[in-house]
Amino acid sequence: MSNNIKRYQNPEIFEQLAIEYVVGGLHGRARKRFETLMETHFYLKATVEAYELKFAHLVELLPDEKPSKQLWSNLEAHINTETEQTSETVLNDTKTPWWNVLVDKKSYAFIASLFVLVTALIINPFSGGAAIAYTAILTSKTEAPMAVTRVSQSNMHISINMMKQANIPDDMQLALWCHPRHGGKPKLMGVISTTGETIIKIDKEEWNSFKDVGLLAISVESKNAQSPNENQGEILLKGQLSSLYET
Amino acid sequence: MEDKYADLLQQCAANNQLAFKQLYDATSPKLLSLCLRLLQDKQLAEDVLQEGFIKIWDKANTYSPGKGRAMTWMATVVRNKALDKLRSLKTKPAETEIQYEGLEFASRDLEPESLEHLTQDIQGLMECLKTLKPAQRECILLSYYYGHTHQELSDKLGKPLGTVKAWIRRGLEDLRPCLTI
Repeated sequence: MSNNIKRYQNPEIFEQLAIEYVVGGLHGRARKRFETLMETHFYLKATVEAYELKFAHLVELLPDEKPSKQLWSNLEAHINTETEQTSETVLNDTKTPWWNVLVDKKSYAFIASLFVLVTALIINPFSGGAAIAYTAILTSKTEAPMAVTRVSQSNMHISINMMKQANIPDDMQLALWCHPRHGGKPKLMGVISTTGETIIKIDKEEWNSFKDVGLLAISVESKNAQSPNENQGEILLKGQLSSLYET
Repeated sequence: MEDKYADLLQQCAANNQLAFKQLYDATSPKLLSLCLRLLQDKQLAEDVLQEGFIKIWDKANTYSPGKGRAMTWMATVVRNKALDKLRSLKTKPAETEIQYEGLEFASRDLEPESLEHLTQDIQGLMECLKTLKPAQRECILLSYYYGHTHQELSDKLGKPLGTVKAWIRRGLEDLRPCLTI
């Protein structure tokens, strides 16, 4: 890892750069370098987005300026054209399908195998029987799928497969959390790898508790966290847990 | 405080054009005001606002209230569009004579009755900004609202470039602990 990259993984440095970027204090090559790094290091992007939202409140203070009537007419025309094109091409959704972000073959293969599993088991929330597995696709703040998790009764483990590498500072780690469906404290399930597959063994009691879990989340935690059983860091990925039932 | 725009934005995600019109009517005056300050040209500002609202319509399904208030999400979308446009221009439009300059709107004393119209979030941000030295605060706000570079700020304020850079850097260092992201 180059010193340049390591420099950007120091929270003191990257947070300062992120806030300078948001306010507009990074210019020229420094700005371009930071934007390039943001594309591959999503903690940089997450920090920038958090500061962007903080500063965006400043818009409230601005005096109103009424746009011309033509502006709305242009927008209306654009939307209507889009709608017509949609009807003509018989597309169900003009917005980008979420699976388009899975660009590498490995991810496609993994998702395909997951679909095979799902079709074999049939997702049936009205089934009277108990679930035999649970699954969740965890997405980033921009809704990009980043990880697939499966909780399986047959081998009593949780598997977490990161579809893209999560780049986080050296002194940080990723942690998997289960959030109860009806509120309450999330439960820490374990530390996971930033890349590839991680397996976390579970016992019978933990398996039974999954019926009350609504959301899985992956957060970035300090390796030196004082209280590891409470969320300390920012949630990077999250997804709703779905139950799989035997046919 | 309830976020009156979040519901409209979520209806836009379901292709509700009426909700989009209501959202546009309610938010476009503030967002145009931001574009005008960054671009200093009415036609350019309206072009960028149009692009911004198209993106808001197209990407409404990526917004969730967990990301923050709907207005701040929309302001971020529009400001980033305006900054992209600003950087694509070879020369920055000259500041117009009167309308779009200064920080009076952000520096006036906030009377209790005007506070009622502001969210707690902006009140908190203003409290943080008040802890800075006036020169630091002025540079940061001019950068945010007008997209001024360090050199432009140096020219505008008649201060050495190094001084302006230091004001911004130290101002932001002091601001960070207060903002708690």
